[in-house]
Amino acid sequence: MEITSKSIGPTLVVKAEGRIDTMTATEYGTGINDLLDDNDTEIKELVLDFSKIDYISSIGLRVMLELQKRMNNQGSMKLINVIPSVMEIFKMTGFTNILTIE
Amino acid sequence: MQKIFLKWLFLLVFSAFILTFATSYLIQTNQSQKVGLDLIELKITDVKSQLNTTQQNLKSIKQMTDSVALLKARFFAKMVYYNPKILTNQAKLEKVKEFLDVDEVHVSDKKGILIASIPHKYKGFDMSLTKQTKPFMAAITNPKFELAQDPMLRGANDGIFQYAGVARIETPGIVEIGFKPERLEEATKLADIRNISEGFRIGKSGSIIIIKNDKIISSGITKTNDLKDLEKDIINFSKKPHKSFKIKYDGTKYVCLSDNWNGYTIVGILPASEMYLSRNSVVKSLIIVNFILFAIIFILIFILLQRVVISAIYKVNNSLGKITDGDLNEKVDVKNSEEFEMLSDGINTTVDALKRAIDAETKRLDTELELARSIQHSALPNVFPPYPDHDEFEIYAIMDTAKEVGGDFYDFFFIDSDHFAFLIADVSGKGIPAALFMMTSKTLIKNLAKTGLTPEEIITKTNKQICKTNEQGFFVTVFLCVLELSTGKLICVNAGHNPPLIKQSKGEFEYFACEPNLVVGVMGGIDYTSCETQLNPGDSIFLYTDGITEALNKDKELYGEKRLINTLNLTKGINISAENILAEVKSDVQSFTNEEPQADDITMLALKYKGFTKKDSIVLGANTENYTKLLDWLNEKCDEAEIQSSYKNKLNVAVEEIFVNVSNYAYPPKEGDVEITFKINDGKQVEMQFVDAGVPYNPLEKKDPDITLGVEDRPIGGLGIFMVKNYVDEINYVYENGKNILTIKMVIQ
Repeated sequence: MEITSKSIGPTLVVKAEGRIDTMTATEYGTGINDLLDDNDTEIKELVLDFSKIDYISSIGLRVMLELQKRMNNQGSMKLINVIPSVMEIFKMTGFTNILTIE
Repeated sequence: MQKIFLKWLFLLVFSAFILTFATSYLIQTNQSQKVGLDLIELKITDVKSQLNTTQQNLKSIKQMTDSVALLKARFFAKMVYYNPKILTNQAKLEKVKEFLDVDEVHVSDKKGILIASIPHKYKGFDMSLTKQTKPFMAAITNPKFELAQDPMLRGANDGIFQYAGVARIETPGIVEIGFKPERLEEATKLADIRNISEGFRIGKSGSIIIIKNDKIISSGITKTNDLKDLEKDIINFSKKPHKSFKIKYDGTKYVCLSDNWNGYTIVGILPASEMYLSRNSVVKSLIIVNFILFAIIFILIFILLQRVVISAIYKVNNSLGKITDGDLNEKVDVKNSEEFEMLSDGINTTVDALKRAIDAETKRLDTELELARSIQHSALPNVFPPYPDHDEFEIYAIMDTAKEVGGDFYDFFFIDSDHFAFLIADVSGKGIPAALFMMTSKTLIKNLAKTGLTPEEIITKTNKQICKTNEQGFFVTVFLCVLELSTGKLICVNAGHNPPLIKQSKGEFEYFACEPNLVVGVMGGIDYTSCETQLNPGDSIFLYTDGITEALNKDKELYGEKRLINTLNLTKGINISAENILAEVKSDVQSFTNEEPQADDITMLALKYKGFTKKDSIVLGANTENYTKLLDWLNEKCDEAEIQSSYKNKLNVAVEEIFVNVSNYAYPPKEGDVEITFKINDGKQVEMQFVDAGVPYNPLEKKDPDITLGVEDRPIGGLGIFMVKNYVDEINYVYENGKNILTIKMVIQ
């Protein structure tokens, strides 16, 4: 899984490409947490670019839940460019109520 | 019963009738005889008294004539003494004769020679020469002699004549006169015994007969003069006085009574018919009266008994007949006498007890049979459709047992994933033993089949095994088929069963010519042979037992094979299910037999081959590490099936969630495999199955998560199966043979 990120002040934009599934979810979650930890300044806003994420399963949802919990403590989190099939999963599972999706 | 009774009653009454009749007859006979004989005796007494009177009269008249005759003879002797000249003067002699008023005068000399005589022609006649004159000769020597002879017949027409004579006074000789004693003659005529009988009649046509010196001298019988026979008979019988006897004369029977009197035998005869006239008329009336009387008695007794006894007995008997014929609800209700009421009550009580006993026994037997039947039924696969996950074929089977537990059975099962066995069988015999034999056979076949033997080996070994232990001599006909699902190849063994009907390319059912082998259970050492055919998608095979073709209607007609083929072919050209094939046959058999009770088990099985659907499967270790392999395999299958990406995505989610679930929960901490199959049903539905041998776990039982909760309250797990449920169209879990089987279906169009 390829993860790219860019930080502008307290805002971190993470863009991953591929599936967030059993095989990749841990890598994706750990990757973002590392980025959050390793940044010089505390990140107040996490932006997840989902334009290249074409699949998410329940384990991915779990990662999203953990990230949302962390970001609730230190700022905010939002998802952008979510493709319909992934959006469907968020809707189905009630994650649209938890996550901020733009 | 009635006949015998009537016979005896008739005999009794008839005997009484005869007895009464005989007694009356005897009494009447006796009476008639007595009256008759009295009548005769009375007449005889009359005859005797008349005879007596006649004789007395005759005697006194004779005495008078005799004395007159002697007076005249003495006077003539005096005239000769005083005037001897008259002896020589014929004219003077004639005058003397005139004077004496006699017809003859005779005078003899001392030698008895007539010296003077009127008629003159007797002069010179020697008186010693004739019997009549000779008695007078004594007067010659005896001067006091005088004799008046009895009157006697002289000549045929002269009537009687009497002589009297005395001795001559002046000289020895005889003086005699002769004359016709007219008064005497008249008196004699009056007293003639020969006429007496004519004056007597006994009754109407009875007569008197008088016999003297064994000769009938007088008879009242006027019919005939020839009395010779009668004379002989009567004389023989009439020796003793007051003796009654019977004679037959001139065709008539007579009753006779005889009596002797003064040298006469007087016989009274009376025709028997006359004597018994009164008796006969009395008896005749008696017969009529008796007959009517006894007939009335007979009828009265008969009616009485008929009412009181016989009709009651018939009623009882009628009821008993119904009871014997099996109608235990029949009640005997004869109450016309106390005895019959007791009898009725007794019978009713007995029948009630019997009925209760039979009911109890029937109930017990019914329960037993019902139990046996339910065991039998439950031993057969009876959930349809039995393999909802297999769409290569449809199978349906029906077994309708007859009232008794029969020996039919069917069975079907998978030998392995590609070989499906089905069979139908008919055990000889009925009842619980047959059902047990059926269970044994069924179990043997199934167990042997599961060991991977060929169909002919299965039956060969089953036969061998059964023959070893078959003590009761049962046998079973079997038709066993093994279908290779992937190819449609059908291998069958026919062990003496009626061949099935098969519908192949022609589209019509026809008999499947599969060479029959011997029935199973008869001869242990034989090898069974098989036959083979090819089923193509849409082909069907119909197996049945002869309970169908041998079903009878009320006219005792068989349902027959022709009717069966026709019924099956009504479905020709229609895409009919196996279940409906059987339903058609069943309803046709039922409408044929109508109300007739089912005589034999009706068992049938239909299999419709729908063709093999390609199925792929993968076996993986149940570990999330293998997820990538599964994903690759799944994507490959989806691409092969050209599934759109949106469906593919959902399928991805579902497969991942299930696989992860199995990996996390089925085996840990141990390891194990999960088999995942993928197939497309009719090109429009994906069906996938996950089979693992881990701990039994039904993920569907888990409660759906609350998706309205906020971030902080959300539990970490539980979303996976929820997502699966949301994405697939069908999800189904079973735990079978130690395996968790989860099946999902998703429409992909």
